[in-house]
Amino acid sequence: MRLLKRSIYLSFLLAVIAVPSVAQHSPDGRLVTPDEIREGLTPDGSRWVTFGGDYNNHRHSPLTQITPENVHELVPQWTFQTNVLEKFETTTLYRDNVLYVTGPLNTAWALDARSGRPFWEYRRELPEFLTACCGLVNRGFAMMGDKLYMVTLDAHLLAFDSATGRIVWDATMADYTQGYAATIAPLAVNDKIIVGVAGGEYGIRGYIDAYDAETGELAWRFYTIPGPGEPGNETWAGESWRTGGASVWVTGAYDPELNLLYYGIGNPGPDYHSESRLGDNLYSDSVVALDADTGELRWHYQFTPHDLHDWDATEVPILADIEIDAELRQVLMFANRNGFYYTLDRATGELLVAEPFVRTTWATEIGLDGRPVLLPGHVPNEEGEITCPDLRGGTNFWPPSFDPQTGMFFVNAREGCMTYFSWVQEYIPGQRFTGGSGQYITDDPDMPHYGALRALDPTNGERLWEFRYPTPSGAGLLTTATGVIFSGDNDGNLLALNSNTGELLWNYQMGATMWGTSPITYMLDDRQYVLVPAGTTLTAWALWEE
Amino acid sequence: MDPPSLKKTIFFFVRQLTSRTSLAVLLCALVGGPLGAQDVPPTSEFADDPEAIRIGMGVYRLRCADCHGTDARGVRAPGLTQLWASGRTDEGIFRTITQGVPGTIMRPIDRIRTRDSEIWQVIAYLRSISTPTTTHPMGDAGRGEQIFQASCSVCHQVNSAGGRLGPDLSRIGAARSVDALVDRIRGEREMRIMATRATVGGAMVIDKNFAQTSLTAVSGESMQGVKNNEDLFSIQVMDMAGRIQGFDKEALQMLEVSTESLMPAFGPETLSDAALEDLVSYLVTLRGHDAAVQ
Repeated sequence: MRLLKRSIYLSFLLAVIAVPSVAQHSPDGRLVTPDEIREGLTPDGSRWVTFGGDYNNHRHSPLTQITPENVHELVPQWTFQTNVLEKFETTTLYRDNVLYVTGPLNTAWALDARSGRPFWEYRRELPEFLTACCGLVNRGFAMMGDKLYMVTLDAHLLAFDSATGRIVWDATMADYTQGYAATIAPLAVNDKIIVGVAGGEYGIRGYIDAYDAETGELAWRFYTIPGPGEPGNETWAGESWRTGGASVWVTGAYDPELNLLYYGIGNPGPDYHSESRLGDNLYSDSVVALDADTGELRWHYQFTPHDLHDWDATEVPILADIEIDAELRQVLMFANRNGFYYTLDRATGELLVAEPFVRTTWATEIGLDGRPVLLPGHVPNEEGEITCPDLRGGTNFWPPSFDPQTGMFFVNAREGCMTYFSWVQEYIPGQRFTGGSGQYITDDPDMPHYGALRALDPTNGERLWEFRYPTPSGAGLLTTATGVIFSGDNDGNLLALNSNTGELLWNYQMGATMWGTSPITYMLDDRQYVLVPAGTTLTAWALWEE
Repeated sequence: MDPPSLKKTIFFFVRQLTSRTSLAVLLCALVGGPLGAQDVPPTSEFADDPEAIRIGMGVYRLRCADCHGTDARGVRAPGLTQLWASGRTDEGIFRTITQGVPGTIMRPIDRIRTRDSEIWQVIAYLRSISTPTTTHPMGDAGRGEQIFQASCSVCHQVNSAGGRLGPDLSRIGAARSVDALVDRIRGEREMRIMATRATVGGAMVIDKNFAQTSLTAVSGESMQGVKNNEDLFSIQVMDMAGRIQGFDKEALQMLEVSTESLMPAFGPETLSDAALEDLVSYLVTLRGHDAAVQ
């Protein structure tokens, strides 16, 4: 007993001497360094420590134990249930045999990856009145040092002690009573935590924030709608910039060499009413490239100028270096809700490729000037006008994936059309502010409503193969080095396909759809696991073993 | 009671339904509830607020119109323009929206995503487009019931008697307007849709939950009936006797799912106008109690 006490005392002394500089570089297995996040997924499968697997958001694992030939031998190892109403939209993180999971309704867990049993559980009291438009969800943790970072529905950013779940600091991002919320998975970059605010349907003015990872102090803020006197403010008629939305609710990408962050920006508001906000409405529906140290805008590209169909550009950007016209280009790949797929030069913002990947009736093409060539008759009105895609778009926030070995880009695409309506609406702080509505068209054979997993060639936007679903899927994707792609359909089936051909290899009925969730994969005790959040359950899969 | 006097009684009954003062009495008599409960005034504070009605229209179009129709006259689900005329109350409609209708595609609205005020705004919108009276069938409900037993009960249940292939009609009189009933029995809406779609050549599923289905399993077992559900890998079917079975598609050697409902269209040659009037006169009396629908 005395020995134990002495040992604890020594440990305490050592800790006092060692902190805080050791925290970033300790060999302790549970600490995450910026270099590790930069390296991304390792061949030994020992970690998944950021939203997209790496800063490029490839969601492509080098692991090779699970193959197209044996994927049908996957069996569940355990299931974890949240016991919370509402569903997962999270990407789980994995480090040192522990899983870090965020759930809906301001919940989070650290789970034993061997058993699914929790080490700790976190639950934050929900305020009585929340305005999150589209589900009280959360898209995941960020990790750095010995801390985890999570946003809350009442627009706070929390830092946790990853071992205990204790809150280390709590920063207020916005006033939730004014329509702001937060659902994004933070991104840990250098010494900062990058987040954004949701609330595009509530007349907010959006922004991206960087907080000091150690202290929680605000380091910089980038308003996604320029204020008076700033370039771009003139793209908002009158005072419409004040309530123009342009929220940020899906995690971006980061290029460490250029030190640039890339974030997709949400729709302008009110969503459907043109006269309420004449102009291009920058930087709504754009991708912005920001200096990671200062938040300064380096370039932007607007996919849908003056959007009238709620086509947030809050899809996940993917970075890679690919050969286009015999030249190696540093690119950013983006399958957009407006129905077009884009490849951009990520150093300059130059548009390289723009092709529709679903049926689009509002624009014929993207012109040489980078602007869509509009077709007439696609301005919503009181009587209703029909446009494809529908408001959920050609795709949406569910993550795509990219296989750097084959250069194929994968996306769960949606086909469908909608009758869009609009009218003048008065802005009331904290109230829904959309200036219209839409009605899905689901029973017209001339406007089929279905989904498809599609493989695209990012050098020209051409479709390489597709696997069709009866109805649109909202599942995120995961590919592996052996040529397996994991997806899900809208009926609750978890699917494994051959990523080179689209051939279905294996399926399992999960009982809930993978709405916005992506599987992750990692090694544990020499076995490759696939972890799948769906509905209110998290299931870990591995190959059958005697 | 001879038929003419029954007819008069039904006519009187239906006339009474149109009177607001006797509405509460009748409704209470039907559901057996206390009179006081029906005296509660509409709690929708948005009833006369044009902005709220407009917001309600927006929510309605996004969340309700797919099944109930942009004009609220019904597509896969009941028309809603005569809710008040048929005796529903704001509070009852609020409960239906929040609790859903058990056994139907009408699920409870997601309360986490939807504020109560938005539901009241939808109700205010529906009130603003509601029509005060319904048309009233003048037929003989007694004869109508006989027609129902002979032609409809093989597929439809009323008060736990009848077939199970089609929807339960125990409260169809409260759920559908007379016009909607006539349309459905005659198949006129479906024919209109087919006519407008003729140019694109596609037959369509009228109601995908009642599509005619025929299958043969590898084991030799075969089944004819209606589809209850389907995904990429499996199908769930009810056969003509009301037995429910599911099959893995891999285990089937033959599967045919028709794009048409099993419910036939009864044109004037099979159901005369007079017989239809009788049948509908019977159907409007079906207002069976359902705890979720008051």
